[in-house]
Amino acid sequence: MMDLINSSRKIVVPAGYSEYTVDADGEIDLQLECSRDSEIFLKILRAPKLNLTTESCGGSSIACLVWNESETTTEFHELHNVRRDTRLHIAYGEIVKGDTLRHTKIDLLEPGAEALMSSATLAAARKEFHASVASRAPHTNGDMKNYAVILEGGRFVMDAAGIIERGAHVSESHQTSRALCFDDTVYASIVPALLIDDNDVKASHAASVGRVDEDQLYYLQSRGLDINECMRLISTGYLMPITDTINEERLKETLKKELEEKIAALC
Amino acid sequence: MKELMIKNLHVSIEGKEILKGVDLIVRENEVHALMGPNGNGKSTLLAAVMGHPKYTVTEGTIEYDGQDVLALPVDARSRLGLFLGMQYPQEIPGVTNSDFLKAAINARREKPISLFEFVRGMQKNIKQLELRDDIAHRFLNEGFSGGEKKRNEILQMMMLKPSLAMLDEIDSGLDVDALRIVADTVNRTQKETGMSLIVVSHYERFLEFVNPQYTHILVDGRIVAEGGPELAARIDTEGYDWIYREYNVLPAAAEDEKKRPDLNIRLG
Repeated sequence: MMDLINSSRKIVVPAGYSEYTVDADGEIDLQLECSRDSEIFLKILRAPKLNLTTESCGGSSIACLVWNESETTTEFHELHNVRRDTRLHIAYGEIVKGDTLRHTKIDLLEPGAEALMSSATLAAARKEFHASVASRAPHTNGDMKNYAVILEGGRFVMDAAGIIERGAHVSESHQTSRALCFDDTVYASIVPALLIDDNDVKASHAASVGRVDEDQLYYLQSRGLDINECMRLISTGYLMPITDTINEERLKETLKKELEEKIAALC
Repeated sequence: MKELMIKNLHVSIEGKEILKGVDLIVRENEVHALMGPNGNGKSTLLAAVMGHPKYTVTEGTIEYDGQDVLALPVDARSRLGLFLGMQYPQEIPGVTNSDFLKAAINARREKPISLFEFVRGMQKNIKQLELRDDIAHRFLNEGFSGGEKKRNEILQMMMLKPSLAMLDEIDSGLDVDALRIVADTVNRTQKETGMSLIVVSHYERFLEFVNPQYTHILVDGRIVAEGGPELAARIDTEGYDWIYREYNVLPAAAEDEKKRPDLNIRLG
């Protein structure tokens, strides 16, 4: 099922796989009511400003891949409410030339709520990402996995906050963010934060920003690959693990194929 | 006729001169053994020909097939027909062996290789090297055993079909069976393709297999002795001491420099 969205909408997402394409020339609100287990592929062709919210009823499993194909600037304001015994996986593919500003807020509102936010970014433009995953009820788990490759002319900013509120005991908050730079002139910043207000929790964060390894580059070049081809291979290898976080085979295949094509186009 | 011509080559690493004037000519279809004690410049010479960024050529020239090799970036040297089988192959997580090799093959072709032809070549060579079938789909050298890494270097050599292959201690870390497989494969590939070979090895057994016509002894950054296979054989039985005496040279004191200096300061 494919649906083209160009104005504000409220959609009841059916169970199973659904595809939506956003092509809007102004600000729009998009509300997704996920009533049952669902996989969503949300493709962005144009969205100067998109206010996206997802709601889920209890006891479901939701996977949503937001795939940005916009060549122009996009701004996302997102709120994802996760209910009792529901698992949300939201993944972002940002392998595109346009600038992106994204505010993502994930609220784990009821016991048993779980969320995984993952992103794969190939930045040849400005990519700014402010994310928070908040445990607002006991027995909730939040996780973030962000991987970025920064190319010439790219700027990458990632603020990721894992929050556990007082009373949200036996909850977990984890995050990993990594940025790989191919150029001395690029800017990359990752600021991980853990805001913990309860004692009985587990939390961790890992972050790294670094240049591509010179010996690895030499090894690949010594087999005849030019620098762009090396960048393509290393970037694909670096960003591809994002697809492992998606269990749904159809979404996974789509992401893999698109990732390879987009990286090849940018490198 | 493709010919490697190295003249008066001086190479430094981080300001320290390792090669102090090396001359070497390798013609088509010739097999050369490069010998010498550790830390005296063998790997440096091969790395300088390939173009490792850490090695600075301060003087001299390298030409291959009439081209100024030193003017070319690393990848262009490879496409010119040069290949270096490395002593310590890099691990590249996320990049599969077959994706990497396909890209490397296509980098030297106008039309991309067909999947059929690629897979067939890969399977044949994997079998000849007695590697496990899954080697194609694993990430490049990641988690490979020492022997698998070395055999994977040879697999790359077979797939890329260089006209001059340099093998830097490709036999170290191999058990007796693997040594035979690798040596046999190198030998066979050389005979089939007529490629030139420069082999750095400490093992007579390996050299017996690839049967070099020329032997060069590198001591303290210079080639001090040259000869045929009899020279390699004598070193295998007698070591290098007679070379130092006969040619009045001393090996570079690489190991001594790594020693902790004596500390005269005592805490009172």
